[in-house]
Amino acid sequence: MGVLDLFKRAASPVSRRFSNRPAPAEELFDDEFQRKLEMLAMVSRKVFAGRMRAERRTKKKGSGVEFADHRNYTEGDDFRYVDWNIYQRFGKLLVRLYEEEEDLSIYLIVDCSSSMAFGDSKKFDHARRLCAALAYVGLANLDRVTIVGVSDGELVRMPPTRGKGRIFKVLNFLRELEASGTTELAETLRMFVAQHKRRGLAVLISDLYDPAGFEGGINMLRFNKFEPFVLHIVDNREARPDLKGDVRIYDCETGDERELTVTAQMLEKIGEAWRLYRESIERFCASRQVAYFAAPVDIPFEELVLQVFRRGGFLR
Amino acid sequence: MHLAGLPLSTLLTLGAVVGTLIVGLYILKLRRRPVAVPFSRIWQQVLRDKEATSLFSQLKRLLSLLLQLALVALLLLALGDPRTKQNLVEGRNLVVLVDASASMKATDVEPTRLAVAKREVTRMVEGLGGSDRMLIAQMDASIRPLSTMTNEVADLKHALDQVAASDTRADFLRALSFGLDSLRGLGKAEIVVVSDGALGDLGRINRQLDLSNVALSYVKVGKSARNVAITEFSVRRYPLDKSRYEVMLELTNTNDKPVNTELTLLGDGNIVDVTQLSLKPNESLQRFYKDLAGASRTLEATIKMTDGKPDELPADNHVYALMPERRRARVLVVTEGNTYLEAALLLDEYLDVEVIAPQKYPPAEKFDVTIYDGVAPPHEPRTGPALYLAPPAQGSPVEIGKPIDMFGFDTWDKKSPLLRWMELGDIQVAKGFSFKPDKEQKVVGASELGPIMVSGSRSGQRYVALSFDPRESDFVLRVGWPLFILNTVNAFVEEDSSYISSFKTGEVWRVPAPSTTDVATLTEPGGKRRAVPVKEGRAFYLGEHAGFYQLEAPDAPPIRFAANLSDLEESHIAPAASLEIGKKKAGSLGEFKVGVRREIWLYLLLAVIGVSLVEWLTYHRRWTV
Repeated sequence: MGVLDLFKRAASPVSRRFSNRPAPAEELFDDEFQRKLEMLAMVSRKVFAGRMRAERRTKKKGSGVEFADHRNYTEGDDFRYVDWNIYQRFGKLLVRLYEEEEDLSIYLIVDCSSSMAFGDSKKFDHARRLCAALAYVGLANLDRVTIVGVSDGELVRMPPTRGKGRIFKVLNFLRELEASGTTELAETLRMFVAQHKRRGLAVLISDLYDPAGFEGGINMLRFNKFEPFVLHIVDNREARPDLKGDVRIYDCETGDERELTVTAQMLEKIGEAWRLYRESIERFCASRQVAYFAAPVDIPFEELVLQVFRRGGFLR
Repeated sequence: MHLAGLPLSTLLTLGAVVGTLIVGLYILKLRRRPVAVPFSRIWQQVLRDKEATSLFSQLKRLLSLLLQLALVALLLLALGDPRTKQNLVEGRNLVVLVDASASMKATDVEPTRLAVAKREVTRMVEGLGGSDRMLIAQMDASIRPLSTMTNEVADLKHALDQVAASDTRADFLRALSFGLDSLRGLGKAEIVVVSDGALGDLGRINRQLDLSNVALSYVKVGKSARNVAITEFSVRRYPLDKSRYEVMLELTNTNDKPVNTELTLLGDGNIVDVTQLSLKPNESLQRFYKDLAGASRTLEATIKMTDGKPDELPADNHVYALMPERRRARVLVVTEGNTYLEAALLLDEYLDVEVIAPQKYPPAEKFDVTIYDGVAPPHEPRTGPALYLAPPAQGSPVEIGKPIDMFGFDTWDKKSPLLRWMELGDIQVAKGFSFKPDKEQKVVGASELGPIMVSGSRSGQRYVALSFDPRESDFVLRVGWPLFILNTVNAFVEEDSSYISSFKTGEVWRVPAPSTTDVATLTEPGGKRRAVPVKEGRAFYLGEHAGFYQLEAPDAPPIRFAANLSDLEESHIAPAASLEIGKKKAGSLGEFKVGVRREIWLYLLLAVIGVSLVEWLTYHRRWTV
């Protein structure tokens, strides 16, 4: 390799993409982290005690024990479910419906694109810790937890698992995830919904820096009967980058370049655009009744998880 | 416009090279630092707004390059030293003679004439044309060039700062000679005299110098002439009573109006006499103060106006004198007995006389002078210089000739300090002998029959020999006898009655100094010390300031002496309206436009600095990036 090649390589945005490595696996989920997970599991039980009792119910109505609703009798219905009291009083044949008890499927979808590892890789580490915490709570509640890493239009999937004893499998899976490639939420989640017929809660943990637009991915979940929950990983430092003077900026995922001179006014505009982008995500989720939760990297993950619990939507 | 510096072809080559370099660097400057961003879409939203002004931005960016190229162009132009056609004309070569004589200390213009002269020259320096060159020289008793022939304003101003007034008259002849020598072979030569016009005998200058090839300009300094001066001052001790002294001084009123003045005489710093004097217009008044006592070393005289009006030249109001130092001298008389001799020696109370018989010679102690009366034993150096009266042939320092009788002094050295105040023509001698002096010996007195008084030197010690016994003549009955004895003793102990009470400034002084050294240290009145050369027992120094001086030499007591201006010509401070040397009349000063340097490269450099500032400002304000 000649000197010129070295120079080109050094100046290449692609080579710089790998300059910020995520935290080593041992540091990511250390003992302290695991103690916090246990604490979160306990707190989640306390918070929802008497209401949840470690089970969750789907909206499906079926052969459970708790009454849910009535419907008109149709031919072929089981006579055992006809509400004869109603028939006696109103002369109408109605069938009693019961809530069908079913374990909930939780899909934790982690964005593994390069933008998640931007800078000091705090976003990616933060996302994995949050994912691990939520997975642990889910496992502890005997839900079927599936973790999916998405990047570059591809899926990396940990098969559905249940029971908190499987947390180590989760942690190992998360450890092995790497942040690289582009964010293509719509395409990737299209593959996701195609592969996962069992609907459930789909927690999208991402910075939502999708050049094609974040809306496509969320809509893909919505339109396929998943219950999307957007956990937006936010690094406020990106609102005001430490830049000045003549620079050539390039997108850490797409490599798109642009020459410009960064001034204080421009930095203010960048901050404003970043804020508007974030607000647009919030507005989109609110208008579509999609649970949205911003997770700044400078807030500890356990605090964020508790905020998620308190706000509701993740555990019902 | 013409280029006086680098030729155009060189400038173009340089411009091409440097211009290419700048454009290259500019292109390199355009390579920007790559910086990764997490989501370029956000940046694109912002940049979309800037798109509209991108063309203007490019233009502004180009402006930065254009400014830099303009800088280079200006610098190259400066190297070319462009001149206007008018300025390409040959420049003047000026020698400015700044009068620093005593009269320039006059205060008729604020603060002094010299300060005004320096101001005038500063104005000239600042108004020098681009091709003009100037040399500044100080003119007083000597001529002192203070700069080279240059057009560097800083150098010329520095030279001007060094000009300082002295207490001497100006040697204009020497100064003009220097100016002519400096300008020889140079075009547009001009001598500028900045002075009050008290410049001595201009007719002599006209006879000695040819000023036809140079322009002469005169800048007059000063406006009035009110001055009273002490133009002579002398003091001497009485030869026979050296504790007393007399003073002679001369006051001169150089005004056209009468003045009243007060003269104060100070002895050793204490007032000895105060006299009120009135002087008529242009009157010189001589005053003698006889039989004064009370001062042993220094004497000063000062005058001040008593009519309330200022004396415009204080430099000539104070004079100094130093009286010869008195010390006791030990005199050894080797005689069988000589009443006349012993009586003569009694007249000076400062002499310690010891009389011994010839057989007791040499004594154990040291003496300053030995007088051999009719004897000539082998001379012992520790008994000092010797006076021989009628020495015998055996031991005489001068070879004895034939005996003679009935003779007298037919010729004698009237300038000899031995014979000061004496008239020897009527002395009659009954008998004696003549001397046969050799080439080294000097005949002080002689009769027609041969030399009868001879002086000489032996092993570094002087001696005087008289060829007859004074008692064989009427010499001992005359006033001249004790004078001769005392003059001889004084000459031997170097207490010269011709002692100069003060030197005159502006002359080369020959101050008595120990002959054993080559260099002595002179302390000037201001306390400044400098080494002066000593040659044959005299220290040489061109004195320029009035006051008391002290000369120190190794292994010798310090010698003090005084110096005075005492120059009537210099005290006439009325400024001359014009300067005319023969038929050549000094013109007025040529063109000196203050603050206008006609060298364009200076302005180009200023432009470069200005453009640099604009470039710096616009860059840091992000106007041109």
